[in-house]
Amino acid sequence: MNSAIELLAPRYDIAWYPWAVQYFFMIALSYASLWLAAPALVFGKSSWLPTARLALLACLTTTLVAPVALLADLHQPLRFWHFYAYANGHSWMSVGSLILPLYVVGVIVLAWLAWRPALQANRQAPGLKGLLARWLSLGEAPTPRALVVLVGLATLALSTGIMLYTGAEVAIVKARPLWHTVWLPPMFVATGAIAASGLILVLNRVSGLCDASVVGQILRVMLGACLAAGLVAGSWFLDGINAHVGSVAAAMESVRDSAEWRSTAIWGGLTGLVLFGAVLFLLTRPAARRPALFAWAWLLGLAALHVGWMFRWVVLMDVQTVARHSAGFHHYGIPAGSSGILGIVGTFGLWLAAILLVDLFVPWRQASQGGSAADASPAAPEHPDVEGALRHG
Amino acid sequence: MDPIRRSLLGQLARLSAGAAMVPLSSVASAGINQQPPRREGDPRKRYGMLIDLRQCIGCQACTVSCHIENAAPLGSFRTTVSQYEVAHQETGEVATFMLPRLCNHCENPACVPVCPVEATYQRQDGIVVVDSDRCVGCAYCVNACPYDARFINERTQTADKCTFCAHRLEAGLLPACVESCVGGARSIGDMRDPDSQISRMIAEHRDELMVLQPEKNTLPQVFYLGMDERFVTRPDAEPVALDVLDSHGKEMGYEFGH
Repeated sequence: MNSAIELLAPRYDIAWYPWAVQYFFMIALSYASLWLAAPALVFGKSSWLPTARLALLACLTTTLVAPVALLADLHQPLRFWHFYAYANGHSWMSVGSLILPLYVVGVIVLAWLAWRPALQANRQAPGLKGLLARWLSLGEAPTPRALVVLVGLATLALSTGIMLYTGAEVAIVKARPLWHTVWLPPMFVATGAIAASGLILVLNRVSGLCDASVVGQILRVMLGACLAAGLVAGSWFLDGINAHVGSVAAAMESVRDSAEWRSTAIWGGLTGLVLFGAVLFLLTRPAARRPALFAWAWLLGLAALHVGWMFRWVVLMDVQTVARHSAGFHHYGIPAGSSGILGIVGTFGLWLAAILLVDLFVPWRQASQGGSAADASPAAPEHPDVEGALRHG
Repeated sequence: MDPIRRSLLGQLARLSAGAAMVPLSSVASAGINQQPPRREGDPRKRYGMLIDLRQCIGCQACTVSCHIENAAPLGSFRTTVSQYEVAHQETGEVATFMLPRLCNHCENPACVPVCPVEATYQRQDGIVVVDSDRCVGCAYCVNACPYDARFINERTQTADKCTFCAHRLEAGLLPACVESCVGGARSIGDMRDPDSQISRMIAEHRDELMVLQPEKNTLPQVFYLGMDERFVTRPDAEPVALDVLDSHGKEMGYEFGH
């Protein structure tokens, strides 16, 4: 029926704005970095402690910023309390609105417990830093290790709820075949793990830590995440071309003739392959050459963040431009205002501010699995001044 | 693709992590995303609409009268009539196909269970409505509806949609689109009343009636008579030229400018 021309149809606007991309990106960084902080902070593997410290910084800051973006995507943000006054257990979004605050509290408490010994060690520091350390550390009693483990385990459990609900919320939407697949939730998690690994590589560089053991551990995680993402994407594709799953076949059909979608798919596939290849290359170099090469791993980190963010942009924004009952594609130009560019830049700005505030006032570099102030040396010698640390990083 | 390769690829797909995902999908389909109980409205009635496409001339009187009756913002529509130019496959003869669209007030509406605050709900008479005082404007329902029947009203910043003009039905009036239809193409009524016009028409044309996107399992309650089955799903057509510019570089196809 390609001899038909659609003469008259309304232009349908997109319903979820780039705020949604920002939320899905931030919350994925959050839960994935929580799992990277877990080996040391929850399961007590001390070789992972440097990674865990960076991961906890990433986790706390993204956890604080993500709900802001989520709230902003509501057209009536001040009615957020309706989520609790009129909760609807039939809706994944409602289920998520119950899990999310618990998760946010869990992450904040975990970070506080992990940072508390170092804060206690800083109680005598001069100025605002000491004042905040005295105020935030809430007394001098040691932090029980078991409590860190317990809160950590509870937060990890809640994080799986976040993974499940953010994926299911989108995947149950039958109206959009590109969303309606069981492969979407695991793909969100896999690309989230890629992006969080990338973020830790970048933080490892800009914080000045430049710890090679962190790079080695994170590159292995990234390799696994790339493999998982490749497996999921491949399975989705095979499901579609074999028409095993009607929805996936319909999804591929809906974008088959679009040059833009073809180039998006090629770009995504190539970026993933190049990332995977580069990580594999770095990991298979002889030990002697690794330090020199690992110093450049932060570039892969940027590429990984790109993969994580672009996947969410394509899934949440571009899919909304695929017409559902009219022909072709709807045009979407990113507006300059708060529902577009300003919102994207603003979220990242807020996030940067959160990272800088934590870096200024909290001795996050000495996070530990509980203990007392005596276990944590005062921050001063290792961390002379924040600006310097950032500059030489 | 040859059958052997196809089956090999199929095996590969099954061997991959697919099995691990099965419990996840069964969780997603049980309990959560089921229809919440209906509320309000007359439980003895079930409203539905039948559109006789043979009577539609594409005049858009329904679009205009709905717009005036329900004060939708410019550029957003609770009902509209899509128009297609279709060439006969053999003779090349050209004809216009008109397709009035509105909320289907589905028996299994995809938009209702997703609402996180139950602001959108189905009345016991089948009409799907939105409580705009409760709606948080998350736009989940807008994305969940396969028929593009919902939009965010830019004035109220809440979800908006066709209500079958429930306020008019309650006053004993016909919906604006039905009343203004010059060809009498639209019929609305109580499908539980065997003597209503719609019940009689459904009985008479049962085998010829079609609904939009039946594969979505939403069970639409707007029935089309004289429908071309190629338009039941997303039409394979040249998209509408919304970006045609006049000699001054201004859009001609779209006048409300976003």
